[in-house]
Amino acid sequence: MPVVDVQPDELRRLTGHEEKSDEEFKDDLFALGLEFEGVTDDGAFQLEFGPDRLDRLSVEGVARSLRYQYGDARGVSVPKTNDPDWTIVVDESVPDERPYVTGAVIRGVDLDDAALDSLIQLQEKLHATMGRKRAKGAIGIHDLTMLKGDVLSEQSTGNSITYKGIEPDGDTFVALDSNEELTPGEVLEQHATGRKYADLVSEYDRYPAIYDEIGLFSFPPVINGQRTEVSTESRDLFVELTGTDQWTIDRMCNIICYALAARGATIEQVEVQYDEGTVVKPDFDVETKHVSHDRIESILGIELEMDEVINLFERSGLGVEAELGEETVYEVSIPPYRVDVLHPLDLVDDVGRAYGFNELEPRYPDVGTVGQRHERSRLEDAARTSLVGLGFEDMLNFHMISEEENYERMGIEPGADYLGGGEPASITEPYSEDYTMLRTWVLPSLSMVLENNTHRAYPQDLAEIGHVAHEDDSENTRVAEARHVAAVVARHDATYEDAKARLATLCRDFDVELETPATEHPSFIPGRTAAVVIDGEDVGIVGEIHPKVLVEHDLELPVAAFEFDLSALQ
Amino acid sequence: MRLPESQVAVLNAASATDERTIAQLAEATDLKPETVTGAAFDLRDEGLVSVTETVEEDVELTDEGVEYADDGLPELRLYRAAMDVGDGDAVPMGQVIGASALGGPQVDIALSNFARKGYGHIDSGELVPDSDVDADADDEAAALAALAAGDHVDADVLDQLESRNLVVRRERTIRAVTLTDEGVTALMEGVEAAETVDRLTPEMLTSGEWEDVEFTEYNVEADAPEVRGGKKHILRQTADRVKDVLVGMGFAEMEGPHADADFWINDCLFMPQDHPARTHWDRFALDVPPMEDIPEDLIDRVRDAHLNGVGDDGDGYHSPWSEDFARAIALRGHTTSLSMRYLSGHEVGELEPPQRYFSVEKVYRNDTLDPTHLLEFYQIEGWVMAEDLSVRDLMGTFEEFYSHFGITDIQFKPHYNPYTEPSFELFGRHPETGELIEIGNSGMFREEVLRPLGVECDVMAWGLALERLLMLMYGFDDIRDVHGTMCDLDLLRETEVLK
Repeated sequence: MPVVDVQPDELRRLTGHEEKSDEEFKDDLFALGLEFEGVTDDGAFQLEFGPDRLDRLSVEGVARSLRYQYGDARGVSVPKTNDPDWTIVVDESVPDERPYVTGAVIRGVDLDDAALDSLIQLQEKLHATMGRKRAKGAIGIHDLTMLKGDVLSEQSTGNSITYKGIEPDGDTFVALDSNEELTPGEVLEQHATGRKYADLVSEYDRYPAIYDEIGLFSFPPVINGQRTEVSTESRDLFVELTGTDQWTIDRMCNIICYALAARGATIEQVEVQYDEGTVVKPDFDVETKHVSHDRIESILGIELEMDEVINLFERSGLGVEAELGEETVYEVSIPPYRVDVLHPLDLVDDVGRAYGFNELEPRYPDVGTVGQRHERSRLEDAARTSLVGLGFEDMLNFHMISEEENYERMGIEPGADYLGGGEPASITEPYSEDYTMLRTWVLPSLSMVLENNTHRAYPQDLAEIGHVAHEDDSENTRVAEARHVAAVVARHDATYEDAKARLATLCRDFDVELETPATEHPSFIPGRTAAVVIDGEDVGIVGEIHPKVLVEHDLELPVAAFEFDLSALQ
Repeated sequence: MRLPESQVAVLNAASATDERTIAQLAEATDLKPETVTGAAFDLRDEGLVSVTETVEEDVELTDEGVEYADDGLPELRLYRAAMDVGDGDAVPMGQVIGASALGGPQVDIALSNFARKGYGHIDSGELVPDSDVDADADDEAAALAALAAGDHVDADVLDQLESRNLVVRRERTIRAVTLTDEGVTALMEGVEAAETVDRLTPEMLTSGEWEDVEFTEYNVEADAPEVRGGKKHILRQTADRVKDVLVGMGFAEMEGPHADADFWINDCLFMPQDHPARTHWDRFALDVPPMEDIPEDLIDRVRDAHLNGVGDDGDGYHSPWSEDFARAIALRGHTTSLSMRYLSGHEVGELEPPQRYFSVEKVYRNDTLDPTHLLEFYQIEGWVMAEDLSVRDLMGTFEEFYSHFGITDIQFKPHYNPYTEPSFELFGRHPETGELIEIGNSGMFREEVLRPLGVECDVMAWGLALERLLMLMYGFDDIRDVHGTMCDLDLLRETEVLK
């Protein structure tokens, strides 16, 4: 979950509540759902919150929410915008994979160190969340005075920059934190930031690039050029965003504009000139959704007056008009920085938060239903109780295992028709070499437990009823899953009889008929191995574990074992 | 007559004319007093001796009593010190206490008894001893000295000493044995010791020989060899407990595949396909072909929810949605995939409200292994379906559930999940430490989840890691010690069972 660093002094200044102590802020922030995680070296609060309210990814947004909470602000507020002077021309060469662009011009911003830090943090956090690590949306912020606009036409006084696609080595520029002219292709290989984000564009035929009259100044989504770097001296900014989805980058842009407007900057729109037509950004249109009074009451489980609901909406930074009729419906306006409102129920949640969910009195729902265990779970439980009665220690192992443990160390091979020989259901990109597939049988896990506990007292009689699986394309899930009953008897005088005797008792408990015709299995000693045949069906194996398997697991005493499909006991 | 050896000895040592106490008989027979007592009662039951009981009182000095018997009572030491220093005049308190060499709690003891016994009084921080007092005539001091010497002391003074916790009084039953006429007759006719045996054998029982034998005594306090039984795994016990509680609350158990299509695991849950939790790093994709059999109309409705939202005012995600991704098979990251299968009517037919379902089963998360995180763990998942459910019903259900595990004072922190709204992180008070701890995640399923599944009423749900509940209840600090092949058998063997 996102963690945002917020300076309490900045909060005091931006909320206008100089009197608030750090402790008071912590409580107020918790009520907003922002959890205090700690303090940074320079005294900033580290706040953690759910990734829905991305408009709170900076101190400006947090302060705005607090002002609504305090009642200092109500309803929807939209910053004034000036008419466009700049145009972003989208060239037909723009990469198909990343066709969208948006932006804004910011004038008269007062960037002290704190404000600049906050802006950089907001940019990073938006990249990490909505921007999906820059894949879906990436932000470039430039010092406007360092840009020289192309003249669009003789009739127009406006300036333009161009978003286009270029060959990987089609041009050069000096990237941030660098001092040499590199092509975009070279940046991906030689520049630290380039290497970090290379995967985003390396498959593209043409690389995204933004030009002004002087030349290439930004290589989205990887890195900006050094020429337009923003500093505390910068007063006018050009914000551009590119991405794979117009709505996403527009909202990211809105969040940045709102943050800078909160610091007194003026927002100036830009035109984006696509082939299909020209649009004006940022787009601060206020959307509306409708929710009925009854639905609010039914979700919260309490009765509310209309005035109260309107107040709660406004205190959440939402605009509201009540439409009276057979049932009261609220038309709620949603500010353009909100990215989390997909459905009217999201507005009910805002009302609940403003009301205070913890103010609600819990009640046990007056709903009668009949509880029961699943048949499979009851069977498993009964079998486990029998095994424990036979003196087995009940084990619980991971379902994931490595091929080496599942097959090789047990002396078996995949694709064989004996127990455990099923084809592996393998994990595509395993995180650890110890867990690369689902186990096809349980005895490898029990053998590993024995191996890891040779320093513990014997006898070690262990049993596990557990999940096993193998690839089977005839299944809808492509994986055949089952529960196996497995047990090992490890003691200095363990023999086939020890395993068979216990297996026989278990079968008697479940009133099924056990036969043990001789068979062969590579994990067991020939001549001391039998198939477990229950009610006429071959469902498993019983025998003495082969010495090569014992030695492989550093075991210095005999082990008798059995394993079979639990469903045979049904 | 044949009697056990100890009874023969007691019978021989007893007299028909003099009462012999158990202690005397024990000395005479060289048996332990408890053996003699047992034998005496057996002989009395056979009418061979009579046993009389008298009650005596033992008085014993406590450690404090012994100390005062040696050093003098603190109030006397105080009085003498005051007299030494001031010769009957008022003396500053600090000076007296210094001279008396009393320390710590003894000072308080000395002062309170000093006043009680009228040895003087305290006035403005000065101690004024009464010079008429005869310090050598203190009856408590005399009684302590007498007790230390083993002499008898009057009950009045004893009460006083007992209230000062200087003596302990214990009642003791003295038993004395006298031969009856039958006992004398039996002795005259001759009594022999029966033979003693080590083990009771089947032959003894069938032949009746057991009636004439005496069993050798065992040292019943000695350690017996260890016997090890099996027991259910502690995590399994915890799961069973959770299942019991939920079944009692009217929940029925769900069952379903561990390997499933992403459609059931995530898409039905309205998780956008570009959500960070759905990237290859967080999920365990399986190297198998995609799932073919998913109802087409359901796929269409779910896709539509993702792209366009649900309802007149609904918006979709601005994220791409690919059917290929939805059909890809992975290990489930939560058992909510089961909830989706059940709610869709795919598992047990269309469900009509009200319904309650649960599962306590394995889920798989591609996370870093550490003492509190495993790649696979058990998730407790539960949901309630009804016509109209409110946040208050959700809160009431969870309060009830967690109260069965001693977790009270449940707090509901508003939270964000892609699939529920409103959503809450649940916090509760730890039964032992009193700390406020996170105990689960909950909410009302979004309409974007329910409507495509064909559910028109409300459903609330919650989830929690079973391992977390176990660690809270048992205080295990490394979950790997109990779950998985690195487990420690001794730890499992010695873990207390869940009551």
